[in-house]
Amino acid sequence: MALSKLVRILLVVLRVGLGAIFVYAAWIKLRDPWQLFAMSIDSYRILPLGAVELAARIIPWLELAVGLLLIAGLWLRISGSIVSLLLLTFFVLMLRAYAKGMAIDCGCFGPGETISWKTLLRDGTLVAAALLLTTMAFLNRPKTAA
Amino acid sequence: MKLCALLLAALIPCLGQPLPADKDKAFGNPSAAFRLDIFSDFECPACREYHMQILPQVEKDYGGSGKIYIVSHEFPLNIPAHKYSREAAYYATAAARVGKYEAVADRLFLTQAAWGESGKVWETVAAVLTPAEQKKVLALAKDPAVMAEVQSDYDLGMRLGVNSTPSLFLTHGMRRFPLPNFNNYTLFRSMVDGLK
Repeated sequence: MALSKLVRILLVVLRVGLGAIFVYAAWIKLRDPWQLFAMSIDSYRILPLGAVELAARIIPWLELAVGLLLIAGLWLRISGSIVSLLLLTFFVLMLRAYAKGMAIDCGCFGPGETISWKTLLRDGTLVAAALLLTTMAFLNRPKTAA
Repeated sequence: MKLCALLLAALIPCLGQPLPADKDKAFGNPSAAFRLDIFSDFECPACREYHMQILPQVEKDYGGSGKIYIVSHEFPLNIPAHKYSREAAYYATAAARVGKYEAVADRLFLTQAAWGESGKVWETVAAVLTPAEQKKVLALAKDPAVMAEVQSDYDLGMRLGVNSTPSLFLTHGMRRFPLPNFNNYTLFRSMVDGLK
């Protein structure tokens, strides 16, 4: 009983914490011209310019939406899956850039943060937290009557 | 009270407080709507690329029209591979005092690989100066005021969080934006044209 309560508290902390981080990341990007985030995405050199522009316009709004859903605890399986997928994608791309020795901005929380082992450690932790949260959301889904 | 003053001092840089500028290393109208501050190192290949490929486009499209004021800052990286960076920065800053910054910067970037290998920085700089200018620049490069200006640029870059070159900052009104990627001119143009 005590353990289950502890797990519930941990999940609430994870959910609200991740949600707040996503809302903050979105706010940082949305308050600046979208081209700044586009420049960060472009520096990874994986997408053509049209796709870079589209991603720079969409990702901050997606981050804001899933961040708010996580904080509110709504559609947890869907929002958790999107957050996990986003973080996993960011993490893999950052890892690839770091392995290739590209001294570029990570673009995580606005410009001015070069990819380093610290940013990788931070994002790796966030990936683990998001995956744990999503797994728990699926495991705790209400059982439907047969 | 002291804490408030410290907080205010910490916030001012984020609000785009005007950065110091050496007018002899600047291009365009000082009262332009935008200001582009460039921190570069003469031995850095990416700085060469920016100086030779992107900067001429910025100057052509915005410098002449008076929309962007472009200011160059020295940021000689303290790394073993760039052992002549600071010396080059001293000569360039000295050349600025005789109105030859652009010519010297162009020459240094153009022949970067050669003097970076041979260490013949002065010979490279001297090639674009008259004998009278050479004499002045040689003396000015050893002037403590010139050396202090280079160090002051470097310190300013450190305060702004510069950790690689080239690092660019675009100031518009009260806001200063660090540009995360210097080599996509299309996005730069889109940003400048999009901001009113």
